[in-house]
Amino acid sequence: MKNGPLFFLGLFSALGISWAGLVIGINTQLGGLSPYFDEAQEAAFPARIPGIAEQGLRVYRDLGCASCHTQQVRRPGFGADQARGWGERQSVARDYIYQSQPQLGTMRIGPDLANYGTRAEEAGRTPAAVLADLYNGHAGMPAYRFLFAQRKLDGEPSAKALVGGAPAGYELVPTARAEALVAYLLSLKQSYDLPEAMPYEPADSTKEAAQ
Amino acid sequence: MTTALPTKVQPGADENEQACGGPLLLLIGSGLLWLVLGSALALLNLIQIYTPAFLADCAWFTYGRLQAMQETALLYGWAGNAGLAVALWVLSRLGGAPLRGTNYIVAGGLFWNLGVTLALVGIAAGDAAGHAAFQLPRYVQPLLLFSFAAIAVPGVLAWTGRRNASTYAGQWYAVAALFLFPWFFSVASVMLTFAPVRGTLQAVIATWYAQNLFSLWLAPVALAAVYYLLPKLTGRVIPNYDFAVYGFWSLLFFGCWLGGRHLIGAPVPAWVSTMAIANAWVVLFHHIIVFFNVRDLFRSGSGTVMRFLAVGTGAYLLSAVVDTAFSARALAVVTQFTYFQQAQGQLALGAVALILTGSIYYMTPRLAGGVWPSVGLIRGHFLAFAIGFVLLVASLAVAGWIQGSALNDPAVSFAQISERTKVWLQLATAAQAMLLAAHAVFALHFAKFIVGQMAKCCAARPLLAAEVTVS
Amino acid sequence: MSDDTIVAAHDKAAAGTPDTHAQYRILPLVLLFVFSGFIFYAGAYLGRYSGRFSGEIFDERQVPTSGQPVVAAIDPLVLGKRQYALACVTCHMPNGQGVPNLYPPLAGADWVTGSEERLIAIVVHGLKGPITVNGNVYSAAAMPAFGQVPGGGYNWSDERIAAVLTYIRQEWGNEAGPITAQQVAAVRTAHPDRKEWTEPELLALP
Repeated sequence: MKNGPLFFLGLFSALGISWAGLVIGINTQLGGLSPYFDEAQEAAFPARIPGIAEQGLRVYRDLGCASCHTQQVRRPGFGADQARGWGERQSVARDYIYQSQPQLGTMRIGPDLANYGTRAEEAGRTPAAVLADLYNGHAGMPAYRFLFAQRKLDGEPSAKALVGGAPAGYELVPTARAEALVAYLLSLKQSYDLPEAMPYEPADSTKEAAQ
Repeated sequence: MTTALPTKVQPGADENEQACGGPLLLLIGSGLLWLVLGSALALLNLIQIYTPAFLADCAWFTYGRLQAMQETALLYGWAGNAGLAVALWVLSRLGGAPLRGTNYIVAGGLFWNLGVTLALVGIAAGDAAGHAAFQLPRYVQPLLLFSFAAIAVPGVLAWTGRRNASTYAGQWYAVAALFLFPWFFSVASVMLTFAPVRGTLQAVIATWYAQNLFSLWLAPVALAAVYYLLPKLTGRVIPNYDFAVYGFWSLLFFGCWLGGRHLIGAPVPAWVSTMAIANAWVVLFHHIIVFFNVRDLFRSGSGTVMRFLAVGTGAYLLSAVVDTAFSARALAVVTQFTYFQQAQGQLALGAVALILTGSIYYMTPRLAGGVWPSVGLIRGHFLAFAIGFVLLVASLAVAGWIQGSALNDPAVSFAQISERTKVWLQLATAAQAMLLAAHAVFALHFAKFIVGQMAKCCAARPLLAAEVTVS
Repeated sequence: MSDDTIVAAHDKAAAGTPDTHAQYRILPLVLLFVFSGFIFYAGAYLGRYSGRFSGEIFDERQVPTSGQPVVAAIDPLVLGKRQYALACVTCHMPNGQGVPNLYPPLAGADWVTGSEERLIAIVVHGLKGPITVNGNVYSAAAMPAFGQVPGGGYNWSDERIAAVLTYIRQEWGNEAGPITAQQVAAVRTAHPDRKEWTEPELLALP
């Protein structure tokens, strides 16, 4: 190889082709995704994220929650995501269009959270219960005590105070970050249907099983 | 095959090297500091997995942040500094002239390390960008980009101003690494941080970036060192060298498509991961050619530098086979989201680290003059490094397989999973502790060497050309 | 080997040795074969599992078809449950028990599990006046029309009505057969200008 300019052109095109094919290709496909209007429910999905949940997303990101939790449900039959109750259908790109930074995650040291809000609602878990889990730790999850502040009781105790978490004369209240984080977690719902996410049934399933 | 060696030794070759030695030694030295720090953080991080309460009360050291910190320290601090030093050195040697513009290296190196320091503090304080292998806070990204460009300038000058019109494989890989990093880094910086794309597109770009960081930066730097050092050490021409050029271009053209194998089943169109899986097979062509080219490494096991290169290259080739095999959807369904993927990452990065370490052992005496104070320490480092590395990768892989199989069985709870993987993670911790000790010895040895040379340097000039090599 | 020799010697090696001895080199052929094999495999894999590079295909086994994607239909019970939660639940309660004396229960009600036509008619056109269910009289003002009929406030499609009816006929211990959208459409078109039904009118239906 002696031809300098040609060499650099080659280097550049190697990167450029993958950039054009992958990055630009996917951008034209998904960049303009709009919410899906569900005739049956007369509502568009996904729903916009409340402002406090958007703040919570930043807390989730900066604490690195994504190093233990994913937020992506694999399709039924591919892994045990459905059997573990993480979601009835696979997550698709449209589910994330309103999230400033989707926290798809790479590790499942803890459960998937793509439908945490749905699960919490079904189990009747209140924000206070989720806050208590954050304070105490839960199963293998460490306690996030620094998201709470202990302050001297001054007059009426705060309505948000955790029960029994502080000595007499003090109360334990969640910080704004903790409340935002919980609001974000409870906003995680993929319980609606999207046409591209509907389960696909191969014509001859015996052949596919061998895949 | 031997070629007639010129009898005339280049005059003053070593003096030239000492002229440019300082800046490169600065990069190597700071790289070693990051290596030790990164390994220490990685050790704490591993302990946290099965001891959730460990350091949990301090926001700066939550598991997530610590992981981002150790990854950044090792990728940008250690591999960044050391990789730059090795690439520049290979280019200057093969270019046949001392590096020009070394001030750029010093200035760039200072700012690069300032950037990595800021990045670590920023991540600890909660400013991480939140993408695997791209955790750098937004204010650090431009700084790193410009420092990299500054450091790369002498490399480009060494290429354009080379003495021979013809070029060698070591140069291609080194130039490719130096030239391409700023491009994909700036694309990632713009599309992920400064003008972020929507939704899960970010995941596609983040995996594209992470793959490029390996395929277009770390791997080429390591290969540049192997291609350069192998004929130096054996005195033989690389066998089947006429294929090296195909190996080079197949890595470049197919390697950057592999990122999507981390997105199997993810909320991105299926073709992204399908494309990656298909390319994972095609890129094996590169690895086959590299194997044919460097097979002498595995034949003559003499010399510690050679051993570092051999284990490193072996791990590099093995890593490609493992990555390809486990990108198949039937296997990925088990290993995805588990420690197994961490094992794959450690295998690939460890391969690069081994090659960089071997290169540093080779080049430092030539840059600083003199000989390494202790051959025993080098051998000890090699043994500890190799054993720790194999143990770490193996135990993480086993833990990951157990974890993945258990995750796919809905009857197994998360508590049971952590119970079953605990012993393997403890083994991985032991391995990481061993690596930390090994790297600490390496860094101290390097410091002792440099301090000794500096003392000598001040005591007596001129210095005789050093002829002793470690190997 | 010195640095200069490395470049020079390899430059020579890269040009390939002239084939003076008519030696047959097997490696280039093998590599070509291997490379073709990889390309062939990759091409075949891409062709089979790329979903034709569609941005709407998330399951690699799927292939886009013209028009509507081939997907499994929604389970009417799932759709029906959602419909129920959306509107019906406010009066008939989540457990289908209704409110004593006001809103009739659906669980175990003969109106629900009995005549399909009457049940469809109630939901499509609405109901006015008291109604007797399982022997108790319920006298709430009215049930609105849910069908796509003049004056109906909800405009639910036949499919949605069929789904919610199928749901209430099979929930809370009810064990009646499903209701199809065609049945709903038939009732809707059979009484084009219908206002709310009353109990006696309904009882006249089969």
